[in-house]
Amino acid sequence: MSMEDYDFLFKIVLIGNAGVGKTCLVRRFTQGLFPPGQGATIGVDFMIKTVEIKGEKIKLQIWDTAGQERFRSITQSYYRSANALILTYDITCEESFRCLPEWLREIEQYANNEVITVLVGNKIDLAERREVSQQRAEEFAESQNMYYLETSAKESDNVEKLFLDLACRLISEARQNALVNNVDSSLPGEGKTISYLNCCNFN
Amino acid sequence: MYGVCGCCGALRPRYKRLVDNIFPEDSEDGLIKSNMEKLTFYALSAPEKLDRIGAYLSEKLSRDVARHRYGYVCIAMEALDQLLMACHCQSINLFVESFLKMVAKLLESEKPNLQILGTNSFVKFANIEEDTPSYHRSYDFFVSRFSEMCHSSHDDIEIRNKIRMAGIKGLQGVVRKTVNDELQANIWDPQHMDKIVPSLLYNLQHIEEAESRSPSPLQTTEKERENPAELAERCLRELLGRAAYGNIKNAIKPVLMHLDNHSLWEPKIFAVRCFKIIMFSIQPQHSHLVIQQLLGHLDANSRSAATVRAGIVEVLSEAAVIAATGSVGPTVLELFNTLLRHLRLSIDYELTGSYDSAINIGTKIIKEHEERMFQEGIIKTIGSFARTLPTYQRSEVMLFIMGKVPLPSLHHPMDPGKTGENRNRLIQIMLLKSLLQVSMGFQCNNMLTALPSSFLDPLLSPALMEDGEIRLIVLEILICLIDRHLNRRKFSSISTVPDIAVLKLKVDKCSRPDTLFMKKHSQQLYRHIYLSCNELSNVQAHYEAIYGLLVMISIELANEEVVVDLIRLVLAIQDMAISNEDNLSAYSRCALHALCAAYLNLICQLTTVPAFCQHIHEVIEMRQKDAPYLLPEDVFLEKPRWSKSVEQVEVNLLFLQSKVSEVLGGSGYNSDRLSTPYVPQLTDEDRLSKRKSIGETISLQVEVESRNSPEKEERAPAEEITFETLKKAIVDSVAVEEQERERRRQVVEKFQKAPFEEIAAHCGARATLLQSKLNQIFELTIRPPPSPSGTITAAFGQSQNHSIPVYEMKFPDLCVY
Ligand SMILES: Nc1nc2c(ncn2[C@@H]2O[C@H](COP(=O)(O)OP(=O)(O)OP(=O)(O)O)[C@@H](O)[C@H]2O)c(=O)[nH]1
Ligand SMILES: [Mg+2]
Repeated sequence: MSMEDYDFLFKIVLIGNAGVGKTCLVRRFTQGLFPPGQGATIGVDFMIKTVEIKGEKIKLQIWDTAGQERFRSITQSYYRSANALILTYDITCEESFRCLPEWLREIEQYANNEVITVLVGNKIDLAERREVSQQRAEEFAESQNMYYLETSAKESDNVEKLFLDLACRLISEARQNALVNNVDSSLPGEGKTISYLNCCNFN
Repeated sequence: MYGVCGCCGALRPRYKRLVDNIFPEDSEDGLIKSNMEKLTFYALSAPEKLDRIGAYLSEKLSRDVARHRYGYVCIAMEALDQLLMACHCQSINLFVESFLKMVAKLLESEKPNLQILGTNSFVKFANIEEDTPSYHRSYDFFVSRFSEMCHSSHDDIEIRNKIRMAGIKGLQGVVRKTVNDELQANIWDPQHMDKIVPSLLYNLQHIEEAESRSPSPLQTTEKERENPAELAERCLRELLGRAAYGNIKNAIKPVLMHLDNHSLWEPKIFAVRCFKIIMFSIQPQHSHLVIQQLLGHLDANSRSAATVRAGIVEVLSEAAVIAATGSVGPTVLELFNTLLRHLRLSIDYELTGSYDSAINIGTKIIKEHEERMFQEGIIKTIGSFARTLPTYQRSEVMLFIMGKVPLPSLHHPMDPGKTGENRNRLIQIMLLKSLLQVSMGFQCNNMLTALPSSFLDPLLSPALMEDGEIRLIVLEILICLIDRHLNRRKFSSISTVPDIAVLKLKVDKCSRPDTLFMKKHSQQLYRHIYLSCNELSNVQAHYEAIYGLLVMISIELANEEVVVDLIRLVLAIQDMAISNEDNLSAYSRCALHALCAAYLNLICQLTTVPAFCQHIHEVIEMRQKDAPYLLPEDVFLEKPRWSKSVEQVEVNLLFLQSKVSEVLGGSGYNSDRLSTPYVPQLTDEDRLSKRKSIGETISLQVEVESRNSPEKEERAPAEEITFETLKKAIVDSVAVEEQERERRRQVVEKFQKAPFEEIAAHCGARATLLQSKLNQIFELTIRPPPSPSGTITAAFGQSQNHSIPVYEMKFPDLCVY
């Protein structure tokens, strides 16, 4: 009998400028709500959500970091053990997009090499105030080898998809690694022997 | 409903039944104690079952968490805790696995109560010493989660504080658990330290808020225990206290980062507080590592705002005091070098108004007054560090700083132009102020070794006399160095005390090294005092310092010969005020008279020769009656009272050299010497310095002759060449040769040690300097250029070129080398 109540465990860290909606995305996903008057995150926040994909339980450990500059050193210390990073910007805020290269440098410096990074443009419900076109963001993401997705935490657009696709992607990465390395598990907490399995499509 | 399915109950393994039995029907009733005892007894007697018991308990607990049956969760956790406490044995290892999984499970929950419950269990576990190490246990999640809890922003303040405190206790637990066990996760790795330290600091930082909120002193003791800041501080102290040599760096780095990120260098109270905690907590032998890291951080911030740099420097200064002897560590000069480098940088920023004169002009605005404050901070810090040093290192540091003072000599090319001059002046001031800090409270019992020529020569250089501010600092430095019995305070103002007994002076007999020191350097000091008196820009502070210096020499370094020379010196200063060749103001002249009166009043009482005292007191009394403007009590006031009448001072208001030598000669003092007027020995450096140009030197020599001419004979009788004076002349020239040798040694040393570029630059500069000197000399066409090789030839060259044959010349005793 396995003591685990999951088949896979992945650590996901959200990063990006302050106010782009990281906390709202996480709470929409984990609690199914859009918190009114969400205050700025202090240091880090932590949430757990277990999802089922094709009969397998995937536990997602989600670390939501503060975008504020002053917490930068503590938040950076969380990149290291992340399996995936969700780099978020606000499509209605050019500045948050222009800061992306800086974030990529931080990822380069602090995250581990195998980390999967997804670029997320949030607040698409505010289409009339859009400052960054989808095409521009897509091109940027492609140039940096990132997946790209646009979301609205408010309208719950693409939020589930964001996390579920990411989970699928992580599972197939994990399987590949396991096959390559010929070991049971290269990921912490993974509680199952690997059999080849086609997962859902990643965007 | 728990585990009581009757039909299958009997088929269940015994351990499962025992576990099931500890749970009551109603979770409100709590753990069933008697059954818990049975379970414990079973676990102790069959330790091989322990891991299964753990696994089963965990399984139940997981299910209860999922079903929100928190009462049962608590019971399961309590049981796990009790088993953990009871079973100190080999098999605990596997049990711990399931135990930790359960703690993690609770910590994953959003419910504050479960988080706190999990933390409490973890803390209990952390305090257990396990017999066997566990190789594969990872505390990554715990560190991450506890750190996160330390930042809780729960809406309810009380709950928020509880979560934060749980986080802190959890971190403390991880540290305790892992710190002594190298097989386990290395808690000192940056990946952990970068979470733990900022989390503690974040809570520590909010102590002010927390304190201001506590309403009455009665409640504070209760409140204090409930205070995350207090707890964070204790945890930080414990952590740092456990840090070994190799871990200090990783522990301090995040502190620096945190202070950077949260802009906490600027009000600096918190930064200072942090480093006080650090310095008091770490093992004292590591304190120099902290200092080094702070220095490194200062370097890293060399282009940050002055306020940030000032904060770091302030912290350094405070840390130095705490670390006391161990603070500087093995790299004394490196430390001072770094501080001096930042001093220079700041001066450049101040002058250029930019962090980089080449690029980015105007991108960052330099605030001049902030740079000034930073500079003062550096100077204070230099003082703090210097005070922790033993004597020999202190004089080494003084020599080092002195060596950095830009001087227009052969060794230091000066920056040309107006800005260059300004820069040099500022650097001179700042370095000398640093030197003053180092000198303060420096009690060297051997002046001779503590203050070698290589230090005194540049300090007494005429280049440092021209500027009023610099001149004053130099005088203060000299006073500090000589005043080893802290008498200086008693002479901070100039006066003619009728009885110096009231001053309660502390005096030791002049030691042998002191005597030797004076043999070697007294003429330099006298000359410095004499020339300082003759500066037009002197204000009261200068006279006070000159007076202080005279007094300190008299108290600390005087033997009979020195006393005689000091009296001659002061009488020469009186002459200076009378003859007024340099057009001193009436105020300056009054001040010099007053200075002489005050000094002679003091020295006569120190000699305790009644006739001497009588003469001095007579003159003072006469002045009190007829010319109070010649006394310190009138001159050295906020609104000085002085008079133009100083231009014509009656003889009976003056101290007479003839009288003094007569009365002192009667008491066994060397009256021949006493009756010889003091004339300063000038070096070629004096002659080459900007203001004391050769022209002036020549006029000074002419003056020497005229002073010895018949008209003034009664005040300055011509000197006979006696055996004594000849001997003296020879001895003096030996001293000069010695100085010269020392200087050569330094030059050689410099060329051996300095990098090639420096030598090349220096030689170029030296050539231009020499060229300009030559030009200067040829312009005057008085005599051939002095050979650059040194004092002696130059001096002889000078006397040979006088029209008077050497054998006919009346040598004023101290004028000859
Ligand atoms: N219209 C709209 N507003 C959003 C959306 N997501 C977040 N916001 C708003 O954006 C603001 C910031 O959201 P947060 O989730 O706190 O942002 P954050 O990235 O977590 O900020 P930090 O914690 O400071 O790093 C809040 O006022 C949210 O209401 C969205 O999808 N649409
Ligand atoms: Mg947030």
